[in-house]
Amino acid sequence: MINIRETMNTLNILLIEDDMIEVMKLNRTISKLELPHNIVEANNGEEALKILQKKDELPDIILLDLNMPKLNGIEFLNILKKDDVLKYIPTIILTTSNNQKDLLECYRIGIAGYVLKPLKYEDYVSKIETLLGYWSINELKQI
Amino acid sequence: MSQDKIDMLQRALAREKAARKQAEKILENKAAELYEAKRKLEKSYSELEALLNKTDSQLQGVFENIVDAYVIMDLWGNILKMNNAAVDLLGFTDASENGNLMDMVHPTDLELVAETFKNLLSEGSVTDSNFKIVTKQKIEKLVHVNASIIYDEGQPVAAQGIVRDITEINSLQIQKEKLLEKLEKSNNELQEYAHIVSHDLKSPLRSIDALVNWIKEDNLEKLDDTSIQNFNLIETTLEKMEQLISDVLMYSSVGSESLEKQTVDLDALIKELKNILFVPDHVSINVLQPLPKIEGEKVKLQQLFQNLISNAIKFIDKDVGLVEIDVKDIGTHYEFSIKDNGIGIEEKFHEKIFKIFHALNKSKDSTGIGLSIVKKIVDLHEGHIWLESKPNMGTTFFFTLKK
Amino acid sequence: MKGIVFTEFLDLVEDKFGLEVLDKILTQSDLESGGVYTSVGTYSFSEMLQLLQHLSAHTSISIDDLLLVYAEHFFGVIEESYPGLLATYKDPIEMLSSIENHIHVEVRKIYPDAELPTFEVVEKTQDTLVMIYKSSRAMHHFGLGLMNKTFEHFNSKASIVLEKLNEDGTEVKFLINKN
Repeated sequence: MINIRETMNTLNILLIEDDMIEVMKLNRTISKLELPHNIVEANNGEEALKILQKKDELPDIILLDLNMPKLNGIEFLNILKKDDVLKYIPTIILTTSNNQKDLLECYRIGIAGYVLKPLKYEDYVSKIETLLGYWSINELKQI
Repeated sequence: MSQDKIDMLQRALAREKAARKQAEKILENKAAELYEAKRKLEKSYSELEALLNKTDSQLQGVFENIVDAYVIMDLWGNILKMNNAAVDLLGFTDASENGNLMDMVHPTDLELVAETFKNLLSEGSVTDSNFKIVTKQKIEKLVHVNASIIYDEGQPVAAQGIVRDITEINSLQIQKEKLLEKLEKSNNELQEYAHIVSHDLKSPLRSIDALVNWIKEDNLEKLDDTSIQNFNLIETTLEKMEQLISDVLMYSSVGSESLEKQTVDLDALIKELKNILFVPDHVSINVLQPLPKIEGEKVKLQQLFQNLISNAIKFIDKDVGLVEIDVKDIGTHYEFSIKDNGIGIEEKFHEKIFKIFHALNKSKDSTGIGLSIVKKIVDLHEGHIWLESKPNMGTTFFFTLKK
Repeated sequence: MKGIVFTEFLDLVEDKFGLEVLDKILTQSDLESGGVYTSVGTYSFSEMLQLLQHLSAHTSISIDDLLLVYAEHFFGVIEESYPGLLATYKDPIEMLSSIENHIHVEVRKIYPDAELPTFEVVEKTQDTLVMIYKSSRAMHHFGLGLMNKTFEHFNSKASIVLEKLNEDGTEVKFLINKN
């Protein structure tokens, strides 16, 4: 029997989130679950684009909040998907907005997932565990 | 020549003369008769003419007094006759003025009018034709025209038309459309706004929940039971707060996101709902007879039944719970009823409960918005909602939905 | 009786028997009109009867035969004056059978007060016609003469049998067989 944990990839995750506590939540969740993934933080879309300029250190997946000041999530997504290199990075929306309009727009531009932030922290932990578990067993583009 | 013969010839001559005179007399009489006949004919002709003029003047009265502008024109658009209303509408000074209707058509509508005129000639009439004209006073007007050809012995000789000034009606229509457009826009903006507000309100709740959890986690050994319980109460309160925000958002959404109506099979809908809803073992949901298919928005109808059924289940306090769904055809609408044997509602609250934030039981899973949403959905389907209830016996909600 | 019947009759008498005979029968008769006739006038039938009787007595020709001859002459008048009327027909049987419904109607347009006999069609085939003549004047032979001429006009021949239905001849059956 194969131990799933052992076959899991270590992911480089770019978290684009303006809410400090949300960033803390993800960090705490990963350390609580003892996951090997690396997290790079960006407080908004502009900051994220700067990070993504370093083409030799591109993340494996992006977790993207929608409601952010300056460059918001959807604007960021549009720029990302127009870039010939960056468009291959799976981007998962992590948001509070269950607005159908936002959801449709995101899928239209191109996303790899749309996850609603639950109210309860325990629910959040289990969602993140499932999400990261899924992506860590995926074959990802080697850059 | 013998005397006899002379006499005979004279007699013959006399006869001829007499005959001629007789004939002349007869012809004279005939002429007199003819004259008399002619006189009589002339008299009856003038009588007929008088009668005709009388009818004509009656028609003239109708023609003059008709409220709408009435115009008779030849087949080239030259005005032959018009009433006072037409004089006013077209900007003439009096009905005797000459004019050509074609010359008054606004340049932008010339093609349209030419086409209309062609139809008039080929079909014999046109109805509800709208186009712009420029009156003699150089005022632009939008007119509505019904016209028909006048025939004489099968040949078209002229055309008559009733012309209405719809400039104002039309501008009102445009104004109305603009307002509707504006309303829709502001509705959409409001909708957006509601989503943003709900997001902004929920985010801090999530953060508080996370922080409370961490404090609890990190200090599990240091906290006593009361503190743990209080922390749990904070979490419950947060949940309730979030539910409240979700419900407010939902309430504001009903009616704004109008989707296209479709045929909804309510039997299938209830079957689905029974799977989705949490139905405790001691409660049974019975549909008393096959439910109809109605025209509506599926998501909203589902919301409607879901809210009422879950409400019914929630307030059942008996050992054997019963929820009954029934329907009655009342012509243009169907009347549905959802009956439970729960705690019942006092009559003084029957009106109030449909108002927003009027939950009777302040409980964890009741925000007091559910029934307001139900009422809004029923309103959207051109129906009514009311209830009959006896405390401790149960409640029956009735509502009608348009077929 | 219409004046044209008198004027034409007098013309015929003058033509066939001479002015003397005409003068004689006119003087012999007791005529209300004094023998003065014009085609547009109207005169008593008894005058025609007297003229016929005196002519018959003078010439020893029966009244019926005189009427027959007169009718043949009179047809000529019709042919000359009303060619359009005759031209509407292609067949003598057709024409005779429509005396009542067409020809007499036309006559009345010109002479509204004309006293006309009736011709009732009893039987009609393509080549035969049976008609009942009724008139207080009993001038059936006048009718017969016109009929003969009618066939002649259409270059056709017929045998016409005349059968009196009463003694005075006011009702007569015509049996016409086209040859």
